[in-house]
Amino acid sequence: MINQKDLLPKDMGRAAGEQLIKLELNQLMPLLAPYDKPGMEPPLTDPKPAWKEKYCTSLDGYVGLDTLTRPQTKAEEDEFVRKFLSGLEKIFTDANNGVLEPLLLTFEYCAKCDTCSSACHIYQASGNNELYRPIYRSEVLRKIAKKYFTTSGKLLGGLVGADIDVNWETIARLGEEAYRCNLCRRCAQTCPLGLDNAIMTKEIRKIFSQEMGIAPTPLHAKGTMLQIKTGSSTGLAKPAFLDTLEFLEEDTEEKFGIKLKFPVDKKGADVLVLHNAGEFMAWPENPVAFAILFDAAGINWTLSSEIMGYDSVNYGIWYDDYQAKQIALMQMKVAKDFGVNRIMVAECGHAHKASMIVGDRMTYGDAKIPVESCLPLLWDMVKSKRLKLDPSKNNFPVTLHDPCNMVRQLGIVEPQRNVLKAICPQFREMTPHGVDNYCCGGGSGFAIMSSQNFPEFRDSVASRVKFNQILGAFQGTMENKSIPKYICAPCSNCKGAMRAILEHYEATEKFNLQYGGLVELMVNALVSMKKPFLEFLED
Amino acid sequence: MILSFVAYLSILLFVGISVYKAWKFAEMPLHGRMELYPVPKESGFEHGGSFYEEISWWSKPHVVSHAREIKEMLKEILFIKKLFDNQRPFWWISYALHLGIYLIMAWTMLLVVGAISELNGIHVAASNAGLWGLLIYYLSVVTGIIGLLLGALGSGLLVLRRMFDNTLRKYTTPQEYFNLLLIFAALITGIFYWGGDLSFHTARAVTANLITFTPFAASGLLILHIVLVGIMLIYIPISKMSHYVGKYFTFHTVLWDNSPNLKGSAVEQKVKKALSYRPTHTWSAPHIKAPNAPKE
Repeated sequence: MINQKDLLPKDMGRAAGEQLIKLELNQLMPLLAPYDKPGMEPPLTDPKPAWKEKYCTSLDGYVGLDTLTRPQTKAEEDEFVRKFLSGLEKIFTDANNGVLEPLLLTFEYCAKCDTCSSACHIYQASGNNELYRPIYRSEVLRKIAKKYFTTSGKLLGGLVGADIDVNWETIARLGEEAYRCNLCRRCAQTCPLGLDNAIMTKEIRKIFSQEMGIAPTPLHAKGTMLQIKTGSSTGLAKPAFLDTLEFLEEDTEEKFGIKLKFPVDKKGADVLVLHNAGEFMAWPENPVAFAILFDAAGINWTLSSEIMGYDSVNYGIWYDDYQAKQIALMQMKVAKDFGVNRIMVAECGHAHKASMIVGDRMTYGDAKIPVESCLPLLWDMVKSKRLKLDPSKNNFPVTLHDPCNMVRQLGIVEPQRNVLKAICPQFREMTPHGVDNYCCGGGSGFAIMSSQNFPEFRDSVASRVKFNQILGAFQGTMENKSIPKYICAPCSNCKGAMRAILEHYEATEKFNLQYGGLVELMVNALVSMKKPFLEFLED
Repeated sequence: MILSFVAYLSILLFVGISVYKAWKFAEMPLHGRMELYPVPKESGFEHGGSFYEEISWWSKPHVVSHAREIKEMLKEILFIKKLFDNQRPFWWISYALHLGIYLIMAWTMLLVVGAISELNGIHVAASNAGLWGLLIYYLSVVTGIIGLLLGALGSGLLVLRRMFDNTLRKYTTPQEYFNLLLIFAALITGIFYWGGDLSFHTARAVTANLITFTPFAASGLLILHIVLVGIMLIYIPISKMSHYVGKYFTFHTVLWDNSPNLKGSAVEQKVKKALSYRPTHTWSAPHIKAPNAPKE
């Protein structure tokens, strides 16, 4: 193992099996009170010996790419390297037109000023560990590409930076390293040349998936492939979806006395609302809250029960352009065939980006249908007083997590905080917030990647800065368990990350730290609600 | 004569290759949207927001402020604002180099203007000159002295910083040291040669000879300086030091391009064209050929 301070990009080519670095709890960024005391945080563990035999644990001991397994023969090893190089060559061809210009700009112009490092939450959380410096993986990719595909690299080698040994271990480590970045693009905001390390990271993921057929199971086999087959990455087929809605209607009536009816495939509806289907399974109160609010505000909306019509997710945008495009076009077609005037994306950040930004140039003309975020409408419902709200019902500390996809990548900054300012008397911002926010640590698939020991990396490192932001926002009230403290995260993946960190740090049990979406707070504040909508307020 | 040829050719190649690079980027296929907020041209959303904060955004005019965009551009070009905001210690030396280069460019133009003025009988000097001559003289002195010093100091300190900073040293390739040393060498030879006459009369005389292809006796140091500057001018646009070209595209066509693909828009025409293209390369993973893949 190397002292991380001495780690060089070319060390990725070190001997087979040698783990480059090992994270130690005492080297990570310190947590704020009350987590600043020893024993408040679970220890970091070593990878199991069996994992070392099967997977690539030689980066930092964590396994994110569970479909990347060690070769049995030299021929398999050579084929693995050959395929990677073939994919690497393709990212600079017309097979990659959709990102060619931004990729070439970032590939060519990095001045190595290192301004990006201080913007990266994973680098900061790791205690400035060299392995997670944003330019580290970019530089490894540059070195390999230069070595094989540039004249200067072939002729001058190390003089132009093409000084890396390329073998199975190098490529496998690089594949793992591509899943140590949340693709939040905060680093790109600070780059003086406007370059974007997240592009380089995603290109590595794409080479692995699109050329080598290697991607994390939760994103690919149980993600996009399952969604294309069944209509939802949850595997929720149409009959089960309809059953779920029926159950939620009954449950809502039983709990709150509200006769709720989800409009499904309603002819003549103005808006098709697309939820992340994970909400129906993990946080059903969220789609229920949407239904209550939309009915109260008189919105002419519907859900769809068609395949691809009831799950807004598109995991393809994190690792595979081909999958992303298939899903985006299928979702668009469902809405188009349905005849609604617009699609509204509910509280799911990456679905916002996938349908409004990434999908924007995938088709044109009549094949398109306008897509908008739910957040402006929610704010309008509050601002126009279409809802009768009583802020005193939300009289507990509330902070807002800004999902990167909605804020930094779509510019939807104000509506959600305007709602909170109007309905939560004890609302307080995190530092920093808005477009300068930090990722929750669940971005780009981390929230659903649960193979081997990867959740430990996510919860202890990737989400660490966010957890500190939360602790910072609630300073003064944290240790008073009688006060519930609510993290508003209007995004399914971010909520997944919140759920994981609160469990990891036992923060709900110890300090009454709660989390949920925005609409739940709105319904909780409705004057018409006879009892609290938020379960933790019931006691 | 040969030095004149070197001067003209290097400037021509500098401009030519830079323009060619810009043209190559401008001609690149349409890419997916990758904007990053704040986008300065968004008018009415100065908090960093966008038109997506509006209900039915597609039915409302997308108000764009080019003035704000230009203001942000100027802050970047003239002051390297992002580096100033995010990495102040590095900014001091990087800005010294960049400001030095700007001033040297101005100085070079002033030398040419001064030389042409003198060739036309207009005296350029500290005294006994008209307003024009005085202006050219003093501006040349100020830009020349400060530009050469700042440029040499900036490039020299950047080399030292890269050598002695533990992090930067790990990522800096020999070629990147060469880039900075080439600039440093070109400027230091200039300082040694032109430094002997800070009124820059000699520089104007040499410039006059160069632009008129007039043979003149050049010392070894002057030949070295002119050749180094020539090599530098040709090398910059073919190296990554041509980031003055790249930076335009990273901001304008990537980070700040949030124009939606609406029916009847210019973007729609570009999308239509891009989608009609059939790539010559394809990906090889099994799922790419999956039978249930929909037709595009």
